[in-house]
Amino acid sequence: MSIIKLENISYSYSEENVLEELSLDIKKNKTTYLLGDSGSGKTTILRLIAGLEIPNGGKIFIDDKVVSDDNSIIVPPEKRKTGYIFQDLALWPHFTVFKNISFGLENRKKPDIKKTVFDMLDFFGIRNFAKKFPHQLSGGQQQMVAIARALVLEPEILLMDEPLANLDTKTKTKILHYLTLLKNKYNLTIVYVTHDYKEAIKNADDIALLVNGKIQKENFSTKMIVPD
Amino acid sequence: MKIISVEDIILGLLFFSIFIFTSCRKESDLVVVYTTVDQVFSEQVLKKFEAQSKVKVKALYDTEETKSTGILNRLLAEKNNPQCDVFWSGDPVRTVILENERMLQPYISKSAKGINKQFKDKNHLWTGFSARARVLIYNKDLLKDTEVPKSIFDLAKDKYNGKVAIANPLFGTTTFHIAALFTIIGDNKAKDFLQKLKNNNIIIATSNGDVKKRVINGEAACGLTDTDDAFEALNEGNNIGIVFLDQNGIGSLIMPNTVSLIKKKYISENAKKLIDFLLSKETESELSFSCAQMPLHKGVKTAKNIPSPDKIKAMKIDYISTAKKLKEIQNYLKKWVEN
Amino acid sequence: MGRKLIKYPIYSITLVLFLIFIILPVLNSIRIAVLDSHFFENINDIGSDIEFLLLKSSFLSAMVAIISTFFGIVLGFLIYKTSVTYRKYFKIILLIPLFISPYILAVAWKDIFLLFFDKIENTNSVLAIIFVHSTIYIPLSILIIGSALVNVSKHIEESALMITGLRKMFTGILLPLIKPAILSSLVLIFIFSISEFSVPAYFGVKVFTTEIFTQFSAFYNYNLAMLHSSLLIVVCVLFLVSERKYIADSPFLSVGTRGKTTKIYALGHYKNTGFSLLVSSTFIMIIFPFLMLIYQSFEKGTDSFVKAMELLVPTFGNSLFLALTGSVFTLIIGFVSAYFSIIYRKILLDNLLLFTFAIPSIIIGISLIKFYNTPYLNGIYSGFWIIIIGYVAKYGFIPAKLLENAIKQLPKSLNEVAIIQGIGFTKRIFFIIIPLILPSIFAAFIINFLFCLSDLGTTIMVYPPGTEIMPIKVFTIMANAPQSLTDSMVLIVFIFTMLIISLLFFIFKKIFTSYNVNY
Repeated sequence: MSIIKLENISYSYSEENVLEELSLDIKKNKTTYLLGDSGSGKTTILRLIAGLEIPNGGKIFIDDKVVSDDNSIIVPPEKRKTGYIFQDLALWPHFTVFKNISFGLENRKKPDIKKTVFDMLDFFGIRNFAKKFPHQLSGGQQQMVAIARALVLEPEILLMDEPLANLDTKTKTKILHYLTLLKNKYNLTIVYVTHDYKEAIKNADDIALLVNGKIQKENFSTKMIVPD
Repeated sequence: MKIISVEDIILGLLFFSIFIFTSCRKESDLVVVYTTVDQVFSEQVLKKFEAQSKVKVKALYDTEETKSTGILNRLLAEKNNPQCDVFWSGDPVRTVILENERMLQPYISKSAKGINKQFKDKNHLWTGFSARARVLIYNKDLLKDTEVPKSIFDLAKDKYNGKVAIANPLFGTTTFHIAALFTIIGDNKAKDFLQKLKNNNIIIATSNGDVKKRVINGEAACGLTDTDDAFEALNEGNNIGIVFLDQNGIGSLIMPNTVSLIKKKYISENAKKLIDFLLSKETESELSFSCAQMPLHKGVKTAKNIPSPDKIKAMKIDYISTAKKLKEIQNYLKKWVEN
Repeated sequence: MGRKLIKYPIYSITLVLFLIFIILPVLNSIRIAVLDSHFFENINDIGSDIEFLLLKSSFLSAMVAIISTFFGIVLGFLIYKTSVTYRKYFKIILLIPLFISPYILAVAWKDIFLLFFDKIENTNSVLAIIFVHSTIYIPLSILIIGSALVNVSKHIEESALMITGLRKMFTGILLPLIKPAILSSLVLIFIFSISEFSVPAYFGVKVFTTEIFTQFSAFYNYNLAMLHSSLLIVVCVLFLVSERKYIADSPFLSVGTRGKTTKIYALGHYKNTGFSLLVSSTFIMIIFPFLMLIYQSFEKGTDSFVKAMELLVPTFGNSLFLALTGSVFTLIIGFVSAYFSIIYRKILLDNLLLFTFAIPSIIIGISLIKFYNTPYLNGIYSGFWIIIIGYVAKYGFIPAKLLENAIKQLPKSLNEVAIIQGIGFTKRIFFIIIPLILPSIFAAFIINFLFCLSDLGTTIMVYPPGTEIMPIKVFTIMANAPQSLTDSMVLIVFIFTMLIISLLFFIFKKIFTSYNVNY
């Protein structure tokens, strides 16, 4: 059963077509890897799903509801039940680790914010860092904070934009392990963008491959190869 | 569906309410005066009026020295809805400009009875009081008493080559002085004289105050300026001398302050009260003490050294035709300055 | 579900207010100038001598811009990027000329020149203007260049240093990277210098602005002056637009999200050279004119100072209120303009701010009078709002520009992640964007505060009768006052400004700590 559906999506930036007539299904509770070279438009797909970009044509469905239509956002990003891990992590540098995670919760008026945040920190084993600022953490710890910040809002979909690229293998394995645990715990659907096909083959439930990197300007439609 | 948030509406309302509040104020015991007389002197006089009459004075100051575009441009720009009630000018020139724009209202003040009609407008659009004269000041270190020029025409002589300063004749009282010369000796002779001054390397200062400064610091040996600047320089303790030029010839230029009522829908009584006050002997006396101006009333108590206008031979000019001449020669003067 | 009727309400409201309160008056006065019966006569009047003057002014200002920017780079590098002794203090001291209005420095410098020369001849006067203007605008350049230098990532410099020497790194990496800042410095200083009027007037040199001024104050030919000004406006707008085009295309350095440090160089052998360079700049730019002012103030005892104090004390409250309100409003409009032009590419407001920035103060003043001085709008005209409107028109561009650069340097993801987290617009602005650009906001606030506090050109045209405003009082009193009184007043203005600035620094420091800006 697919949770996210892209239907004939076109997207262009500065008159250059990034995506053209692209269709893609992403299955629920699976980890789908979007694999492609840099500049192939994989990040754009994530941003379209998140609602940060508006498609020039086509429709995007989440849970069978239209969230984006031709040139318009129907459901705004914050109501799509997605979490997003940016490539640069985008931790707010002026907030402590605790505040980074609690900020979104405060906004949703969740009860007992403190407990929720500390539970999450405990899960990653970084409770001691609650009062630290992002720049005082190691790369791996920053990753965990970013993931914790997204998950604390209990999204159904986690969009990850190559966040683990700069980590050493050991840390990477550790974080991927956490991710699997979390996926099962929260019934998450993960969409993961990378150019590392080894990582994709190793961890993916599904892989979507953006062929030929960039999408040509001519009538060349992207083929999505989704192996079983 | 969200159109505009509540916050935005509140913000907007706040904006407009402030404007409305500020516009609701109205005060009846108020008079607005624009003056080109230096603030140091005019403010004292206005404060005194406030204390005596209990009328609040809102003043706008300006100065010819810095050639500010302020007051007159502002009066002209405000023409369609004048804010100003009373215009107190340090010279008749600007007043005549307003007269030409038909912005003045006739008023005969009882305080002006004793002032010679030579200093009043025929149509009562303005009245003159406390006068200044154009004088020559010289640096006593640089010029001996015997070397001091006696006539304005001496300034074109070789021996004063590069030693004489004059303020930019495009502005202020200097313009008026030159215009007066033109009306008295005729265009051709005046132009000839100015050309000679130019050939004699006359120093063109930015203002009368600048002339004063340059004479004091020796940059120029002597220069043309107003009595108030001259006496100011004396009082500061500088080693300078003052000469009324052409006492045996065309005479010295005397320029009164002028005051006039601005034409508006409602003429306030306060405005008339202020004019009466300004034209009084008391004000003339005060201005003689504060800035060495010569009273036009007889029998006014004056500061030491202040000559009575009776004792000075004055240039015989008509202020209106001089103001007209001024307008005529401005382009010529501009070229004269620039070449 | 429908879309919002007005997509960006805050932007739209600000834009509409700006259009109504500022653009409409300006258009109105352009209309009056064009409808003037002498319009074609006036056009014909723009002859070769006007073009010559424009060229002369442009040349003068270009020299000032080049000299100031050159020293801005040298001194900016020394102060912001090296371990030169007392750099912290120089950072503040060298900004002082920005706090003093140009006229005052002109007075002080002319007095100094006259100590050395008997007379200042024509060519020397031109040099004197270039000199005085440069000393005024070098601090601005230091500020622009310095903040760009600080933002260059340590790693970029270090990786360059691995393969080449310091000199090559400076010319090959650092300078090209801060090219947008260099260009901004050149263009802004050019515009400030070409529209500055008091210094050339004081030195008696005829330039384009003094010509416009003559049209106003000797001929009362408002429409001709307006026409001449439009030439100046065109030149300024052309420069600003081309600068903007260039900057839009150039790479911008990002503030890292993982901590930011700037590389500081040890000067080694050059330590003394660097230090003496800073000391001599301080002497030339500040100490000499300042000593001259003090000397003239107290030459004949303290009477003048006491008198000056009596005169100026009543203006403090008003001026402070106006400058603070003015800088708050300019900051708000600047922020709205910057935020929406960077994040949503809404550039109309930004361009309008640029346009009004290029208009000479006198024209703004007269436009405001002609528009607001009606029985209906008297509420605005006869109160202090007219002054605030003038400030916003004249100075709104400056914070917009500073904040644009700051927002541009923020990674977009910091804002986007907040959007996804469901954090509302207002909260995003106040908790994410503003804290992250707080230093720039502070800088913009201070700079605008200074501009508003010392503004003369627009204020003198529109300030309500009976209001006491500091620079205007100094300006009007200066007229026949003895030199010692003038200098005393200037000294007091200077001390007052410094006190307020220190106080603001202190307050902002508190805010900085509470927001924890030390990342």
